[in-house]
Amino acid sequence: MDAFSSPSSGSSSQPSAEAFMDQFKVQLAQAHAEEFLETIRGKCFDKCITKPGTSLSGSESSCISRCVDRYIEATGIVSRALFGSPR
Amino acid sequence: MDNSSMNSQELERFLDQEKQKAMLNEVVSKLTSVCWDKCITGSPGSKFSSSESTCLSNCAKRYVDMTRIIVSRFQSMG
Repeated sequence: MDAFSSPSSGSSSQPSAEAFMDQFKVQLAQAHAEEFLETIRGKCFDKCITKPGTSLSGSESSCISRCVDRYIEATGIVSRALFGSPR
Repeated sequence: MDNSSMNSQELERFLDQEKQKAMLNEVVSKLTSVCWDKCITGSPGSKFSSSESTCLSNCAKRYVDMTRIIVSRFQSMG
């Protein structure tokens, strides 16, 4: 049973505790992911698109790809610096 | 009794945990943004140089140290 189907037991109109918690976590994760994407957009535009032309050049496109990878990596480095690596 | 529904204590505990997690995520997001600006000065490469990754790591830790000083300074003021 996933978070979005009705409970199979009974005619309760309340979501089960587990369904509620799952849905809550999914929506929170989605909101966080959107915010993360927006941040990356800003950072990588600043770094890679210095003189906007009539289309994205090959070097701008590869800069963007590298930038996304590096920013995700930076997030991991900062996270480990703050909380340590999982053992 | 329908034990699949949540009582308010469980709900409160769940929301507290999620709030903690969200706050930690927020700190990581903010520090990554700040430290990226400080440490990644040129065009992004296909990997970080060791000085870039060290800078990111140091930046996060020094920011925490700084926060500690600021907080204790504030607390010591009248």
